[in-house]
Amino acid sequence: MSGGSRTTALLPGRLSAFLRRDFREALTYKFSFLSSFVGILLSSATFYFVAKLVPPGTPSLGPFGGDYFSFAVVGVAFSSLLGMFQEGLSAVIRSAQVSGTLEALLVTPTSIPTVLFGSSLYSLLLQVFRTLLHLGVALAFFGMTLGRVNGPGVLFVGVLTVLCFLGVGVLSASFILVYKTGNPFGWILGTVSGLLGGVVFPVALLPPWIRWVSSLLPVTYALDGMRKSLLASVGFAEILPDIAALAVFNIILLPASLLAFRLAVRKAKKDGTLSHF
Amino acid sequence: MNPNPAILAENLVKRYPVFRGFRDLVRRPFERRTTTALDGLDLRVERGRAFCLLGPNGAGKTTLIKILATLVLPDGGRASVDGHDVERQPGPVKNAIGYAINDERSFYWRLTGRQNLEFFGALYGLRGPARDRKIDEVLRLTRLEAAADLRFNAYSTGMRQMLAFARALLADASILLVDEPTRSLDPQAADRIGSFLRGELVEGKGKTVFWATHDLAEAAEFAHEIAVIGRGRIRLQGTVASLTGEGRTSLRQVYEKAVGDPPVSR
Repeated sequence: MSGGSRTTALLPGRLSAFLRRDFREALTYKFSFLSSFVGILLSSATFYFVAKLVPPGTPSLGPFGGDYFSFAVVGVAFSSLLGMFQEGLSAVIRSAQVSGTLEALLVTPTSIPTVLFGSSLYSLLLQVFRTLLHLGVALAFFGMTLGRVNGPGVLFVGVLTVLCFLGVGVLSASFILVYKTGNPFGWILGTVSGLLGGVVFPVALLPPWIRWVSSLLPVTYALDGMRKSLLASVGFAEILPDIAALAVFNIILLPASLLAFRLAVRKAKKDGTLSHF
Repeated sequence: MNPNPAILAENLVKRYPVFRGFRDLVRRPFERRTTTALDGLDLRVERGRAFCLLGPNGAGKTTLIKILATLVLPDGGRASVDGHDVERQPGPVKNAIGYAINDERSFYWRLTGRQNLEFFGALYGLRGPARDRKIDEVLRLTRLEAAADLRFNAYSTGMRQMLAFARALLADASILLVDEPTRSLDPQAADRIGSFLRGELVEGKGKTVFWATHDLAEAAEFAHEIAVIGRGRIRLQGTVASLTGEGRTSLRQVYEKAVGDPPVSR
């Protein structure tokens, strides 16, 4: 019988198979969700008490509603989410290389981008859920206050940010395919963004000689736009600069990352190291 | 009926870059050193055959199989599977092959055998009742029905190898690539695998099984045809009877003459 007679499944069927696989595996690790929930509670409590040191109405917090706790929760929750988009794809490649499943996935007639995205889908969705849970816990138990939420702003900033960080994620995955470890994109962006991207303090507090670095980081615009949309009751026009900056990052990163991935797959196949670790 | 051979390789060349230390990279940054795995290999495998590729460790067996499975790109020559070029048409090649990967790490250990097959079945484009029927069929064929709902980590080595065949058969492909399927199995389990590959798959289902091994007894017992690979080239190809002159010389002598190394005995 020829292979050509095989039933063709749509992309959602394949992606749902990845989700089911990872959900079934996660069910066998019974305490992972509980530990994640406890981590969110502890992080929220930490910033709740740190916020008591920062008086309400601090000028640098003015553009974001003025409350440090809300500022920090949005920063920490969303930077974790962005970190997952940035690191998740390379992490699944690395995990499949180390666990030995990568070749078995790549000899199936499922495309490599589908394998890459499908393998990370569960982690990405779980991190979205954790981010919402983080905000929910902060709202329900620690008195976080939202402004008049700018829905379209949240949507635009959210989508552009996710695409942008997926681009970085694909670049990282390309690096891991060829060099196996030591992903510089994740390391540089992750470390530098934590300090200079406005995650737990406003960028305005940085000395001017280094503040320009913040303007090169997508996380700066992502968090600025998201905080203004959630906390500061601003209109769409006021977040347009953030949206424009994120759009520029996307125009550069998305085609560059797809090209890098194609070249990386070809190089790994040429070197015979696709599944090496 | 497809007129193309199941597998065709012409003047196939593969060279791997040699790992270089830091000091060497600093001293000679632009030098490129390679080791040759395939050195102008020619091979033709007809359909519906149990074909054994015999050769010592490092002869190029796994490299050839990985090129045929589209996991490695050749550096020269060409190879086709089911008439499709492995480099230019990887999609149709993947549709034509089932690759029984001989690595127990290629499964999800915390899932059951059936759950593993459900996942890989979806990647092979199967879904719904058709997928469930196919899984039942391959579990029956590999005699794993009773163990289907056990976690993979509870399987014996032989069961894991059979599950690798079950996974490769999900594809319903006409060509099965198998790399040293009896490695680390006891002689009885190895015989069962050999009988399964030739009896059930080739003679029962009309598939082509391309089977790499360094075990002479296994090849002599189960293969319709044998090729001996040594230093990246096919040294001999034919039936056991033709290669041994209808038994006038032993397969071991033929093999040793071809590759210059003693074979592995079981």
